[in-house]
Amino acid sequence: MRLQLQSDMASRTAFLLFFVNLFVSWVSATPLTGGRVLAVIEEQYDSTKYSQFLMDLKGRGYDVKLEPAKKDTLSLFEHGEKVWDHVILFPPKFKGYGPALTPQKLLEFTKLGGNVLILTSPSSIPEQVRELARELDIGLPPKDYITVDHFNYDTVSKSEKHDVILANRPAVSPAVHNYFSGKQDDLIAFRGAGHTLGNGPLLVPLLTAPRTAYTYDSKEDFAYAQDPWAAGTQMQLVSAMQARNNARITLVGSVDMFSNEFFDMKVQKPGSTKPQKTANKEFCRDVAAWTFGEKGIVKVNSIKHYLSNEPNAPVNPNMYRIKNDVTFEIELSEYDIDRWVPFKVPSGDSLQLEFTMLDPYYRVPLLPSSTSSNATTFTTSFKIPDQHGVFAFRVNYKRPYITYIDEKYSVTVRHFAHDEYTRSWDISGAWVWIAGIAVTIIGWIGFCALWLWSAPAAAKVGVKKTQ
Amino acid sequence: MSSLEVLLKDESTRNIRRLLKVVILITIAGAAVSSRLFSVILDPWFNFRASKYLVKNGFYNFWDWFDDRTWHPLGRVTGGTLYPGLMVTSGAIYHILRMLSMPVDIRNICVLLAPAFSGLTALATYLFTKEMKDESAGLLAAAFIGIAPGYISRSVAGSYDNEAIAIFLLMFTFYLWIKALKDGSAFWGALCALFYFYMVAAWGGYVFITNMIPLHAFVLVLMGRYSPRLYVAYTSWFALGTLGSMQIPFVGFLPIRSSEHMAALGVFGLLQIVGFVEFVRDQVPSRQFKTLLKALIFIVFALSSAVLVLLTVSGVIAPWSGRFYSLWDTGYAKIHIPIIASVSEHQPTAWPAFFFDLEMLIWLFPAGIYMCFSTLQDQHVFVIIYGIMASYFAGVMVRLMLTLTPVVCVSAAIALSNILDVYLSIKTPAAPTAGAPSVNERKEKKPRVNILSAGKDSIVGVYSKASKIAVIAAFSIYLFVFVLHCTWVTSNAYSSPSVVLASRMPDGSQHIIDDYREAYYWLRKNTPDDAKIMSWWDYGYQIGGMADRTTLVDNNTWNNTHIATVGKAMSAREEVAYPILRQHDVDYVLVIFGGLLGYSGDDINKFLWMIRIAEGVWPDEVKERDFFTPHGEYRVDDGATDTMKNSLMYKMSYYNYQSLFPAGQAQDRVRNAKLPAVGPTLSILDEAFTSENWIVRIYKVKDLDNLGRDHLSAAAFDAGKKKSKRTKANKGSQRKLRVV
Repeated sequence: MRLQLQSDMASRTAFLLFFVNLFVSWVSATPLTGGRVLAVIEEQYDSTKYSQFLMDLKGRGYDVKLEPAKKDTLSLFEHGEKVWDHVILFPPKFKGYGPALTPQKLLEFTKLGGNVLILTSPSSIPEQVRELARELDIGLPPKDYITVDHFNYDTVSKSEKHDVILANRPAVSPAVHNYFSGKQDDLIAFRGAGHTLGNGPLLVPLLTAPRTAYTYDSKEDFAYAQDPWAAGTQMQLVSAMQARNNARITLVGSVDMFSNEFFDMKVQKPGSTKPQKTANKEFCRDVAAWTFGEKGIVKVNSIKHYLSNEPNAPVNPNMYRIKNDVTFEIELSEYDIDRWVPFKVPSGDSLQLEFTMLDPYYRVPLLPSSTSSNATTFTTSFKIPDQHGVFAFRVNYKRPYITYIDEKYSVTVRHFAHDEYTRSWDISGAWVWIAGIAVTIIGWIGFCALWLWSAPAAAKVGVKKTQ
Repeated sequence: MSSLEVLLKDESTRNIRRLLKVVILITIAGAAVSSRLFSVILDPWFNFRASKYLVKNGFYNFWDWFDDRTWHPLGRVTGGTLYPGLMVTSGAIYHILRMLSMPVDIRNICVLLAPAFSGLTALATYLFTKEMKDESAGLLAAAFIGIAPGYISRSVAGSYDNEAIAIFLLMFTFYLWIKALKDGSAFWGALCALFYFYMVAAWGGYVFITNMIPLHAFVLVLMGRYSPRLYVAYTSWFALGTLGSMQIPFVGFLPIRSSEHMAALGVFGLLQIVGFVEFVRDQVPSRQFKTLLKALIFIVFALSSAVLVLLTVSGVIAPWSGRFYSLWDTGYAKIHIPIIASVSEHQPTAWPAFFFDLEMLIWLFPAGIYMCFSTLQDQHVFVIIYGIMASYFAGVMVRLMLTLTPVVCVSAAIALSNILDVYLSIKTPAAPTAGAPSVNERKEKKPRVNILSAGKDSIVGVYSKASKIAVIAAFSIYLFVFVLHCTWVTSNAYSSPSVVLASRMPDGSQHIIDDYREAYYWLRKNTPDDAKIMSWWDYGYQIGGMADRTTLVDNNTWNNTHIATVGKAMSAREEVAYPILRQHDVDYVLVIFGGLLGYSGDDINKFLWMIRIAEGVWPDEVKERDFFTPHGEYRVDDGATDTMKNSLMYKMSYYNYQSLFPAGQAQDRVRNAKLPAVGPTLSILDEAFTSENWIVRIYKVKDLDNLGRDHLSAAAFDAGKKKSKRTKANKGSQRKLRVV
């Protein structure tokens, strides 16, 4: 199959150089999050439809195994451990998946860190996937609903339904890392049904429908929609959930996107002059690469905090005192396909440190202080507030598309010890009182002296004695 | 005067008497110690922990100790918020014993400190009573205090609490005060100040001394008994004692800033004025003096009240603290500071408790007070005032029975010693003639003309031997029964530590219920070292000490809001409680449930206090009324309100409890209620541990759901329940849009 892949590539000279480069680097790398991929696909016949995508995966070091959906021996776990690192669910031929792929099992799989890529087609969305989607707060359209767009359809495929939608790459926001924004004029062909997303912060759209797209029941008699199920940018074509443990579940509304047919298709938008090749191949690779954790993985290499103005202060002590000056450092790396590179905070964003006890007392930006070949160190210094307690240095950086960073390091902040207060004679305001004490003492001694040396006249004493 | 007394008063037998006295005192101390050894379990654990810290890290580290294992995440400035006297005492004993090359474990010192100090208390009471009457009364008082249950209740072996040493210090400070007053000695006044300082270091009840001594001085001045002796004793005590007390970080500037201490300051000022007036009286003829006095009194009164008002208004002097108000108005705490009212020992005393704790002493007590009136020297005024104040306080709070016990012992000893003096006298008095020498009066002072002591010169003695024998026999029986009672009370009521419950099996053998220690041991062995345990504050010290885990709140109830937070989490619905648990990093929640065993001191019975305390801080979110049925009943069965059934405490208590019984038969044996057939469900917590008799139940707080769902729906999903199909519901209706 590798030969086949290479022959495919050879036929496309425009991409040859690019691919050879990537291929050489990918083939040697084992993916960071593990290489065991289960592709649940019905028949060998089907798999040939997606051979380019699957070959591409294999070429990147994944060990892809194809299994039919209802195979009895299929299991995601063995002895409580997952036996696959990633699962790709192709739409099943029959009603649903087997007992090994119930939504509960799939969620259990994600809980153990496995990634899932779900491909659906309008005619076949099994109940398991629907149930799973409900848990993820993704709204899937009913059976046979399809998404069409009368402005952004492919004119080449001559479908009267306008069901091959041409979507652009998502727009780049300066505040987030976006791993899906290729060239701006790329067109991604999509034939299937869009879905809607709930407001959960863990859900992220990977590919949003064009503004003029809508979804309707294709079984109705009308050639248009009376009551669109969803429309415009509220509708997503590809979206993902990154769970709290950073496992990723990606849901794609069109399995055709991943087919050889769409990879090789030439498309033309209404109004454009000449057909262009789809960007499906690159986009689908991006989707799979992100889902399987080749991109957007950020790791914390080290965390250091210490007293700022003491040269030999111990690193990461358990206890500070109020009003200490401390420096906090965090070293971050990002995984880029096959190696760790320094993590960069997008220009419109800021990595922040919270110094928190119940609520943040400080929230200060962490600025890059040094960069090595594979990591960036972010640093900040501040004065500990005048409040004792168990504080935490917390870096809570949760952004779409990248690993959630939520690092919490508890330290105890104690009060001044009895001998750490400023001495009284160092406080100028106290001099008055110190002088007062001195005067009182001297006065008393003087009085005593006066009393002792000014003995009363002897005669008077005699008088007293007689009394 | 009894013949024995006559014999013992003889010069030649002085050494025998002295030896006898020492032997008696040692025997009393021995009895006091041994009656406190019925069962030995260390409690409260915090003091023990603090002592260990002191011994391990030294005094200065103890002084600056910041404890991050309690009151998470606030921590506690322990060194500055405790009375260090107890720990420093045992630390000192520890080091002295080591110096004498007797390496004793600090734990043993802590356990035996209270009995040892009870022996010293007997000695102090002896000295105090001796100042009141004579040595025989002193010995009686020492014997009484040695075994009086009212004092034993706080000083059994292992009861390592501040009161263990505080009662000794209280009595000894009073003794020194009386001594200083009698002699007009600055030396004894300074000693009194020294022990007052020790008392301040040891117990918050030092305020009792701070107010008793000024009150005594004030009454003496009012009675026209001002003397230079009083002036010297009081001023030396006040000046040195106040300076000393300010050295304790926890007290700090309170002695000059809080209302509780203003009486002492005021009397100090008054004595200066009175002293000055006395001085002027010596110098000025009496008619001018009267005018002068009037002017002076007016000016001083106007000035001092103006200053006091000004200082109070401007906030320099703190108003009376809530605890103090609750002493005057027993309903005050219940309304304003439920945290104080929630402690059982802060409840008003039930009258049988007086008899239970003091037995025959309680009816000898008024007699003794009467005897004090009949002699009424300066020191007797003290006993009278002390008796009145302590009786009142003991009536207001069970806990203050402790301060009443010594004075009851003293005055009962005075009364009994008088009786014995009269009836043990073998000599039959001579024929009644007017002016016969009184038998039980010391003739130090000329008797004053007083209604109460009007008949004292007519005391002649008892003629009949039979009546003597009858009275003595009766009192011997009383004393014997008193000892029996004390032993019985001590062994049954006051020697059962709260950590271990004892019960009787049908065959009469003792059955130990050790659920607490089982659970604490489980926590110690099965949870990470830095796990945070949330429980009601009653168990904070035990968890900190026995399980060695961080707690949110503990028995040192310094932060009402934090306790209210725990109360809110316990009384709220799961989804309200969960953010609170997360915010406070809680890993485990511990509840006490007595329903299976019929153990009434469990959390459901304490629950109303949690609600009240939480309501005090969040009146809009927690409402006590919601936990009562419309008829005002507090129920846990089918008739319980929804708020009750949905509260975290209810759910944690009864979770899975139904599984112990046949369907529909679940029974709560504390509240005698038949529980609902379907038990509560928990979605934010997992049951982690339940002790043998279900007394301690520990729950683990679940992590946030991996997919960002709420726990209820996640649990429903795991249980295989299907969600209603949202797609259909959405169709045609208003769609929920995603915020882009």
